Amino acid sequence: MKDYKTLSGAPLHPEAKALTKRLAEGQIDRRGFLRAMAWLGVAVGGASMLGGKALAEEAPKDGGTLRFACQIQEITDPMMTNWIEASNLFRNSLEFLTYVDENNITHPYLAKSWTPSADLTVWDFELDERAKWSNGDAFQPEDVIFNIERWIAPDSQSSNKTAFGAISRVEKTGDHGVRITLSRPMASLPEQLYSYTCPIVHRGFKGNWPADPVGTGPFALVSHEVGRQSVFRKRPDYWGTPARLDEIQYIDLGPDVTTHLAALSSGQVDVIYRATIAEYDLMKSLPNLQILSVKGANTIVLRMQVDQKPFDDIRVRQAVVLAANNQQMLDIAYRGQGDLGANYHVSPTQADYFSLPPIARDVEKAKALLAEAGHADGIDIELTLGNTQGKWEQDTAQVLQQNLAEAGIRLKLNVLPASQYWPIWNKVPFGLTFWAHRPLGTMTLDLAYRSGGSWNESRFASPEFDAALDKAMAVVDPEARKVAMQEVERILQDNAVMVQPFWAERLSAAAEKVRGFVLHPSDYFRMDGVWIA
Amino acid sequence: MFLGMFLLRKVAIALATMLAVSFLIFLALEVNVEDVAVKVLGQYSTVEQRAAWLAQNGYNDPFLLRYVRWLGQFVAGDWGMSTFFRAPVVDMVLPRLAASAILAGGALLVIVIFGLGLGVLAGMRPGSLLDRMISVFSVVTTSIPDFASAVFLSGIFVFWLGLLPGASTMISGLSLAELVLPVSVLGLYSMGYLARVTRASMVDVMGTHYIRTARLKGASMGRIVLRHALRNALITPVTVIMLQLPWLLSGVIVIEVFYAYKGFGTLLYDAALNQDIYLIEACAMISVLVVVLSQILSDLLYGWLNPRITLGARA
Repeated sequence: MKDYKTLSGAPLHPEAKALTKRLAEGQIDRRGFLRAMAWLGVAVGGASMLGGKALAEEAPKDGGTLRFACQIQEITDPMMTNWIEASNLFRNSLEFLTYVDENNITHPYLAKSWTPSADLTVWDFELDERAKWSNGDAFQPEDVIFNIERWIAPDSQSSNKTAFGAISRVEKTGDHGVRITLSRPMASLPEQLYSYTCPIVHRGFKGNWPADPVGTGPFALVSHEVGRQSVFRKRPDYWGTPARLDEIQYIDLGPDVTTHLAALSSGQVDVIYRATIAEYDLMKSLPNLQILSVKGANTIVLRMQVDQKPFDDIRVRQAVVLAANNQQMLDIAYRGQGDLGANYHVSPTQADYFSLPPIARDVEKAKALLAEAGHADGIDIELTLGNTQGKWEQDTAQVLQQNLAEAGIRLKLNVLPASQYWPIWNKVPFGLTFWAHRPLGTMTLDLAYRSGGSWNESRFASPEFDAALDKAMAVVDPEARKVAMQEVERILQDNAVMVQPFWAERLSAAAEKVRGFVLHPSDYFRMDGVWIA
Repeated sequence: MFLGMFLLRKVAIALATMLAVSFLIFLALEVNVEDVAVKVLGQYSTVEQRAAWLAQNGYNDPFLLRYVRWLGQFVAGDWGMSTFFRAPVVDMVLPRLAASAILAGGALLVIVIFGLGLGVLAGMRPGSLLDRMISVFSVVTTSIPDFASAVFLSGIFVFWLGLLPGASTMISGLSLAELVLPVSVLGLYSMGYLARVTRASMVDVMGTHYIRTARLKGASMGRIVLRHALRNALITPVTVIMLQLPWLLSGVIVIEVFYAYKGFGTLLYDAALNQDIYLIEACAMISVLVVVLSQILSDLLYGWLNPRITLGARA
């Protein structure tokens, strides 16, 4: 225990001792251990502690402009952001209380330390006294209180309202101290504070960030033109370690990834936001390119709204799940570049994953269930999708269409442009929605399946599920948390809420000269460490 | 008929056309005020917010009154705010139209020079080897859709040879290199058709009595073509060129999107995808304006090419 210290200098949390013992006994892995220790406010260092691969031994260079191809979306209020792409723009200027790295380890950021109470309901955060706003104001506890109160306000329409629904009070405890009190234990609170809707805006924020782009971050917004270009320039007066790049230009190249690759290939941009499986062969054939890939909890869920006909009958939902061939969808639509899903929306890459046996495909049973539900002659249903991440979404739906036909389920596909899908993603009875990676399964499930949750698109409501989720969210020990997740996952799987066919490997590409760009599994890209060789 | 009368009549017809189209546009997009409020305020707006916005912006008035007001504002240059781009529509449409005009100008240059040139060459000596080669080339380029030739040309010049930029954003200002591929794709697609039309027209003219007379008088082939044949042979090709004009200015959506060219076509595409109601209205009105103006221009050109065509004569 003597090797580990808290960031705040406070005594170690009682749970830390148990964790160290379990690590020594080989009952938990090192990654899970470090991650849980970080939640408890223990200084765990960087990725090097994981024995990760060191960066190339090149002296980093300062200066230069990096051009990044991505959609330039509208930004108004960061807490209301629906697109991670937009968050990667303001991430250059707005910072978070904590930082979660690509290994899902939580580190200090605007908060330099945090100390949870023994029961994990009272959290004391110590803010970094060096932090300053770009307008010269000091970063204060009032800024944090202003933000959290906005997130959880009764009229808040931010997804933070659900994610931080357990916060009952937030108060100042000193010149740099903030206390967050919870109504129920939440072990992963520091990790959740790095969600993309949680950047800390200035206490005087008026609701439209680009109009008054005050931030604490290493870059300042120079211009932001939706659908065209967004430019950030290095701040010489940044309070922390200065960024290496002088300027970052985000350029909107439209929706076609082939155009993005063409621009990358011809040196017009240095990094592209995303490539899909359809471009994989093309990427491999291009010289002077780094292909970036990461496995995470990126997935699509073909979820059914449990209060809408005909999906209000669990037998119909079960028939859909039983007739679906997840392996075939992975093999055909995503060329096997991912992991098989088992219809409960927790990934093997998430620390709290408990492996439940997948549901075996059984077309005859599906037919029998349909007949029992009064659809002996089959049933007509419609799936709405928007290819928000690429054409592979539609390919997946087409495989499902064939799968379901075998059970007499006539599936009609309603394919919309991505921008027309998002406005109705949580309204259609049967929809295909992309869900981005989150470090923990509980973080996704809390948003997507808790009764009345703001992003609960399936309208699944189960007090039993909510209680099991609460229990899992209160556990620090990684192995104990996995055990607690068994019940959560089982309830979701038994209720046949969704077909969740596979976990899609995330792909992207950068020019060979780009250094330090890490493909974060959540697509949260910090650019302050990026440089050009 | 005097030119002035002709223009007056054409402008009146154009205005009537635009009035009718504007009514249809307004009817299609703004008849349901609830939809307008959702599109402007977003799906997360509350019922109360929408009701307040509708009342504040006069949407509770009768439809015809709203139409007249909207038309008046449009004519006065108040085209509203784009709900997607969060900028005044008028400030967006005109620069994008100018960007498309640059692309259209380049493409038109390629189309006219190569289309007319090849057509005249082929039509001068029908049945010759040159004629056959040009005909095959014309059929091939016309048969390949623009999106396909865009992929082919990018595959060759961007991915394979690495000679040209793959995107044409013009973010850093006008770049001739970035114009090459979109101009070539548009040029290839249309020049073949123009060459075929010009050839057919040229063959007809070259078989007329006055050309035979010129030949018998000993005029050179160059003189016959340039002084006697070309002007008459141009009437049909000019129709084709003038039909290309509105398409090049406001309808090149596929190529602009493919090359990420920030022109009018991409703007229209973004407006439609994002249900940006005021931007769609403005783009539609501008598209109609481009069509009617190009019609007037083509009528004037006909008159110049063939003085026997009386300006203003009823077809």
